[in-house]
Amino acid sequence: MKLLSIILLMLLAFSSQAVTLTVYNQSQQIQPNVVVWLHPKTPIIEPRQPETKFIMGQKDRQFTPHILVVEQNGLVDFPNADSIMHHVYSFSKSKSFELKLYREQPQDPIKFEQTGVVELGCNIHDWMLGYIVVVDSPYYGITDEQGQLTLDIPQGDYTLTAWHEGFSDISSTESQQIIVNSDTTRYQLKQVLIPRIAIGVDEYDDY
Amino acid sequence: MMIIKHTLRTIMILGAVAAFNASAQIKGLLQVSAVKGDSQASWQEGGVGLYRFDSDTDGLLLSQGLLDFRTDLTTAWSAHGVINAYQDPEPTLGFTQAYLQYKPLTQSKYKWHLRVGGFYPLLSLENPDMGWLSPYNYTNSAINSWVGEELRTLGVEATIKRPGRSFNSAHSFSFIGATFKGNDPAGTLLAWRGFALHDRQTTFNESIAFAPVTSLNTPQLQFQANQVLPFEEVDGRYGYYVGMHWDYLKQSQFRFYYYDNNGDPAAINYSTGQYAWDTRFSSAAWLYKFTSKTRLITQLMSGRTAMGAKRGVDNRFYSHFVLLSHKLAQHRLSIRYDYFEVTDKDDWAFDPNASHGESITATWRYQLNQQWQLGVEASALRSQADNRPSMGLSPRISQQQIALNAQWRF
Repeated sequence: MKLLSIILLMLLAFSSQAVTLTVYNQSQQIQPNVVVWLHPKTPIIEPRQPETKFIMGQKDRQFTPHILVVEQNGLVDFPNADSIMHHVYSFSKSKSFELKLYREQPQDPIKFEQTGVVELGCNIHDWMLGYIVVVDSPYYGITDEQGQLTLDIPQGDYTLTAWHEGFSDISSTESQQIIVNSDTTRYQLKQVLIPRIAIGVDEYDDY
Repeated sequence: MMIIKHTLRTIMILGAVAAFNASAQIKGLLQVSAVKGDSQASWQEGGVGLYRFDSDTDGLLLSQGLLDFRTDLTTAWSAHGVINAYQDPEPTLGFTQAYLQYKPLTQSKYKWHLRVGGFYPLLSLENPDMGWLSPYNYTNSAINSWVGEELRTLGVEATIKRPGRSFNSAHSFSFIGATFKGNDPAGTLLAWRGFALHDRQTTFNESIAFAPVTSLNTPQLQFQANQVLPFEEVDGRYGYYVGMHWDYLKQSQFRFYYYDNNGDPAAINYSTGQYAWDTRFSSAAWLYKFTSKTRLITQLMSGRTAMGAKRGVDNRFYSHFVLLSHKLAQHRLSIRYDYFEVTDKDDWAFDPNASHGESITATWRYQLNQQWQLGVEASALRSQADNRPSMGLSPRISQQQIALNAQWRF
């Protein structure tokens, strides 16, 4: 019985549990659409297997999703759901590329080897804006409308890194050490967010 | 002119190649209409009616048939073309647009591109659909009916854009400048027919005939053919236009253009019977979305056109329209009011060019699926033209046209 208790305790210490993280901005309000990833200070015994396949689509002349989080060395497909062509490009330091995308001709996926923020544009539709955030951890997410995200992680010490498109330097991130010891935790952004414009379009705005 | 012809031919060949090229995008549209036309004979049939159809063309007909292609030659160069097929007034197959575009991928926050060949200046916010069609009314406004028949750039156009996205601004600006040859006879139709209401674009090399206008039989106008070849080069001079687009989040879109074909009114091509007309105008267009479903489009054009060594024909022209369109699920309802006028400023009393009119056009479209669209349109107009009495006609006419349309696209 004693042995069983010890095993149970050990399992608890090393096994993952759902932790809800709430992100606040400088005005102490909940902040949606923040990309957050946690990097464990000590290696996790049974880490989550990295995902390798990701999708950044183009639909109704916008990138879908607007922000995609990709694990380092992940492969990203860029399917075009529109009946017109897109010319996707990035000049970002962590990944620079261009792709001409026709609906009928899917391209090979692109590998994102370096961590960092990749800003996507379309050379045909200059209002299109998307981001790929390449992270070095399988524990990541984007905060929802309540400023929350839930991760399955064991308790312990972590480096939390956050990014939001309102950062004044779009390619920078901010980090902080945190201890996860309960099922809720909070993080406050260190910088003021700049409001970003979003341009809504319809099928006749190309002309 | 030879250079332009060679360029056009090259683009047309590229278009044919595009059909077999992997990186080509080809779209097309067929539109069949059942029309109840007016008894007044159409301008297309030598009449003075301002609609495209008349009671002689009642029944089923192919009102639009087009192929729209683009193919990438390199990452920056692409070839574009639109081929139109019409059965009125004569069966025709030809290009309405054929141009090369150079749009380099640049790291700069400012974007720029070039167009070389034959294309429309982007004056209009009414014609954003495939092949310069309108997704709103089937019958174009008086302004864009005229643009579609007598206006085309055979030259080079450069655009520099300051996209709002690059500057995190709600405002985007584009500045456009172009220079071109050809398009010397632009304005001829306004003098001897006036504005009209239709969706019949003129293909390169096509001619448009006039009604039997009496003044064309006078000695002063004896060298003028009874038709116009709107894109012909007559005087060897370059024309130009400049434009500005200003978008606020795409919710409000404003365009201003100043066009001057720099025509030498004394120049004439005796073999084709075409004068160079000194034609210049300003055009302002505005689109405003009240909601994502309801929008207002309005455009105003004001200009002048003259021909002859002593500007024997010298006219002012003016038109505006207001279009309201509402989309509800698969339905789109559009209603448009047009006003148009030509004022005669010369002292050739034997050649009266003044005309004016107004119209109302209401259209309902139903999108069955991605390929099929059905629609019905009713239009009414009244017009007056001072050259009608000499042809034994009343100066004033009222007309109506109803059409059922089925559109198929791929």
